[in-house]
Amino acid sequence: MKAENNIQSILIIGMAGGLAQLTAQVLKKTFPNIKIIGIDSRSLKKSKKDDGISYQKIRYTRNEFEKLFRNHSFDTLFHLGRLSHATLNISTHFSERIDFGLVGTKQIFDLALSLGVSKIVFLSTFHVYGASADNPAFLDEEAPLKASIQFADLRDVVETDFTATNWMWKNQNKIKMVVLRPCNIVGTHISNTMTQYLTHKRSPYPLDYNPAFQFIHEEDMAHILGRSLKELPTGVYNVAPSNTILIRDALSLCGNEGWPLPLSIISPIAQFLKKLGSPFPEYLFEYLKYPCIISNSLISQYLGDDCLGFDLKKTLQSLVKSKK
Amino acid sequence: MNLSLKSYLSKLSQEYLQPDLKKLDEIYDALEIQYEGKNDPWGLNLNTHRKCFEYFWFFYKHYFRVKLHNKNHLENKNYMIIANHSGQVAIDALLTMMAFIYEINPPHLVRGMIERFVPTIPFVGELITGTGHVLGDRKNCLYLLQKKENILVFPEGVKGIAKETSQFYKLQDFTTGFLRLALQTKTSILPIAIVGAEEFYPYVIHFPKIAKLLKLPVLPLTPTLIPLPSPVDIYIGKPLSLETLPSQKSTEKEINNHVLELKNEINDLIQTGLKQKRNYLGHAKNESRK
Repeated sequence: MKAENNIQSILIIGMAGGLAQLTAQVLKKTFPNIKIIGIDSRSLKKSKKDDGISYQKIRYTRNEFEKLFRNHSFDTLFHLGRLSHATLNISTHFSERIDFGLVGTKQIFDLALSLGVSKIVFLSTFHVYGASADNPAFLDEEAPLKASIQFADLRDVVETDFTATNWMWKNQNKIKMVVLRPCNIVGTHISNTMTQYLTHKRSPYPLDYNPAFQFIHEEDMAHILGRSLKELPTGVYNVAPSNTILIRDALSLCGNEGWPLPLSIISPIAQFLKKLGSPFPEYLFEYLKYPCIISNSLISQYLGDDCLGFDLKKTLQSLVKSKK
Repeated sequence: MNLSLKSYLSKLSQEYLQPDLKKLDEIYDALEIQYEGKNDPWGLNLNTHRKCFEYFWFFYKHYFRVKLHNKNHLENKNYMIIANHSGQVAIDALLTMMAFIYEINPPHLVRGMIERFVPTIPFVGELITGTGHVLGDRKNCLYLLQKKENILVFPEGVKGIAKETSQFYKLQDFTTGFLRLALQTKTSILPIAIVGAEEFYPYVIHFPKIAKLLKLPVLPLTPTLIPLPSPVDIYIGKPLSLETLPSQKSTEKEINNHVLELKNEINDLIQTGLKQKRNYLGHAKNESRK
């Protein structure tokens, strides 16, 4: 294991995503002399010319990763490359998500371990807990991961989280690793489902339910990813603000006029549209019905209660500015 | 003539159907200050709370004629309120929550616990959580008590509320988890007795076997479909001092003994209340004999 204090090169998987690019910039500011290599199977929308941050488009295969690890002596790995359900097209099948998310992730971790990486930061999601009427407020990291019980679509997400955490504890004496489960990340640089949902002029919202939500600003998330490198010991951490906001209030703050519809009408429409190829993940409707609020008490012990620069209001209002 | 009749009816409806709005303003202003800057992940909404209070005011004041006794036992701090459960439907909880808001200064907003199926009911779930109810989950209780909120606990559970006529005012077995939570959060326990709610439905029989077949928690049968206007008296007992309670590490037997003591205390309050119980016309037993 290399000394964690002498970080020289970092690999970021999922570099085409906005969060990965923001994280790379944060890391570059914190450690000006390090070399950052970002990889993705997608093309970068904008060409990046930042010093010390290079981008490579590669196919996610074992051979490509092995070449990469052998050619560069990485100290740290940021695995931010979860395949989003929101941007999948019809040709992207469940098996592809399993191949990359589940099988691929473990192979990447094994390679990292065998080739001397000292720390891995893996980005999971709060969706693994599942939205349910009987969720208590503030689920901690030990809460059961129930998402895939209700929606088979989320099997890969839950199983990948399981794989990562199992691998982490199995190898805890050999390599440091952090698994982060953030709440909804929103911001102008990322185009996940929740950001799209909030920034539309009118989004359907449930008339018959009004659950509480948590949102984290993309810049805050990037900073937490950066700080997790040195400040978080091996373990699983929820990432969320202490406060919550009701979904209708959140839409209103974003200037989204909304379509009030009973969810009993919206759900069948979504199921029908999904059959026609709509990318909107239908499990999100469950998250619009019932709460899935996570506790940040563990991460706050290490990063402090004031580790977020944006409060909920500022986070959501930043999306309004982006629309203008 | 028409005008005076209209103004008379308007005045009557204002006096009869609405609470003292000036007092209500003061109560909710005080609550706004109490909750200012506090975040509520369960969806408490003071505007919804106030609206519901106004809608139920007539029933609270003129239909169930609620009276709160021994208010002097209360201090300005949060409590875990332990009560007997009765009346087939949870109207006793609603009336208790209203009494602790309206009759006590400063107002005590009490958080009631709901069953797991309630949040799944469209529209109803939002209304219920808006009025401060939370899912009856141990973690929720713990979090609320740590935040110095008042919570209302019925340790008898469904067995308490769904009793046959022959079992009225007979306390069922208490669960014990609440005492450990109070000890963990160093919250004072406030025993209360609700007298009058059993008579909402004076004749009830239950069919537990059919209920089990239909997968229902209870299946009561009663000739009176709507709750009858039985006056409700809420008796506040003396708060239990934490010094007299066992420690958090106590054995289950020690905890059980204290829960039994608490149950006896609530039973004493019920028996005291039954001696002074008002009939459907609102007269206490002593008064009606005169």
